[in-house]
Amino acid sequence: MEAVVVSHLSFRYPGKEKYVLEDINLLLEEGEITALMGMSGSGKSTLCRCISGIIPHVYKGDIKGIVEIFGKNILEMTLPEIATKVGSVFQNPETQLFSPTVEDELAFGPENLCIEREEIGRRISEALRLVNMEDYRYSNPNQLSGGQKQLIAIASVLTLQPQVLICDEIMSQIDKAGKKLLKNVLNSLKRQGKTILLIDHDHKNLDISDKTLILKDNRISEH
Amino acid sequence: MIPNSKLDPRTKLAMVMSLSSMGILMNDIGIMLGIFCITIIILKLLKVSLLKILIKLKRILYMVVVLVIIQSIFVKGGNPILELGSLTVISDLGLQKSAAFLLRIGIVIASASILTTASYRDIVQGLVQWKMPYEIAFMVSVAIRFLPTFMEEFRDASVALQLRGVDFEKIPFRKKLTVYSYLFFPVVSNAILKAQELSIAMEARAFRAYPFRTSYLVLKMKPLDYIITTVSFITAVTGITWYYI
Repeated sequence: MEAVVVSHLSFRYPGKEKYVLEDINLLLEEGEITALMGMSGSGKSTLCRCISGIIPHVYKGDIKGIVEIFGKNILEMTLPEIATKVGSVFQNPETQLFSPTVEDELAFGPENLCIEREEIGRRISEALRLVNMEDYRYSNPNQLSGGQKQLIAIASVLTLQPQVLICDEIMSQIDKAGKKLLKNVLNSLKRQGKTILLIDHDHKNLDISDKTLILKDNRISEH
Repeated sequence: MIPNSKLDPRTKLAMVMSLSSMGILMNDIGIMLGIFCITIIILKLLKVSLLKILIKLKRILYMVVVLVIIQSIFVKGGNPILELGSLTVISDLGLQKSAAFLLRIGIVIASASILTTASYRDIVQGLVQWKMPYEIAFMVSVAIRFLPTFMEEFRDASVALQLRGVDFEKIPFRKKLTVYSYLFFPVVSNAILKAQELSIAMEARAFRAYPFRTSYLVLKMKPLDYIITTVSFITAVTGITWYYI
């Protein structure tokens, strides 16, 4: 089954003449890791924002085409609804972690969705187990290594129990050991049926993918 | 000894509010000295290191001392203690006013130090449970979280300028303003970019999805908390009322 379908998507930021994305088509199969490569400024991050609903729900602009998550158009979904289907992890772990403890960080999303305390506690334990960070539950995220911070960023998204995970250049600021940790976790999430879109400009970070796509000159082609 | 780690942050907030309100609203030096002594005793009971606070506030203390001297010189009236010709330099009233100022600042700083025994997450949660809007409490929490990051960025930018041969101490005042603008702009633009990234991360995790939210962390006050909070507020209200009546 297709988890994400992007058809003829074009997007232009307000006040800009040029479209960042023009007539983009993309298909993410359920339970697969799809890698998307592209040069800086090719529109990878904008595409991520479109799939995660940040565009057009938070950032407005001129948007054409359709983005569907499990057959539902994101324009017809609310942001909380999208957040439970699509989780996004970004490049800089510093600006994704804003709580004094790992536990608080992981509780943030479910708290916003008004989930019961007991269920939040269960989800925190489960997410920490998935990323092998159970021992850091009460640690300050600031004191973790880059790789560990990204794992906590992933875990904080997993507490919302999304089926699709978008990783926007999550390995760009991470050392070799950290990358290995992240790849292991992403593989284990794939085994659990999660659909993963792994975006990067370095092909060495994409060796765990089932298929690799290249975004160049507003066209997506298979590698 | 009060088991400070066991005290609810709202109890600590209640103590700070009561002590600082009394320190600000009561002008009698004797009373202020009493409040200051009580504050120091509370800090001792909570095992707060006074020396560490003094070291942290070293720069502010210099300013306070200068302000005290200026105040004692410029307050008119009272009996002269030191005169230069017909000009009164220091009077007993000036000294009294500067002592009151010093005590007031001392009470505010010392009482605020009570909060250093609680984590900022607990304080924010305390404020939320006191019905402060979550958005405001969250803003406070984020500001505290990112303050060290901005300080670090400011230091980095300043080192970068010094490595290019800019000596902050030797350049004239006018040029100093220009140089500080070179420091200010990259730090502010970085802060804006960071704020943007942070807001995207928050929105992606359903921030403000609904008018209400649950809280995983829930603070519970114990009998000792109720006793201390009640005593704090009653003492403050009674003391201030008695002083003004």
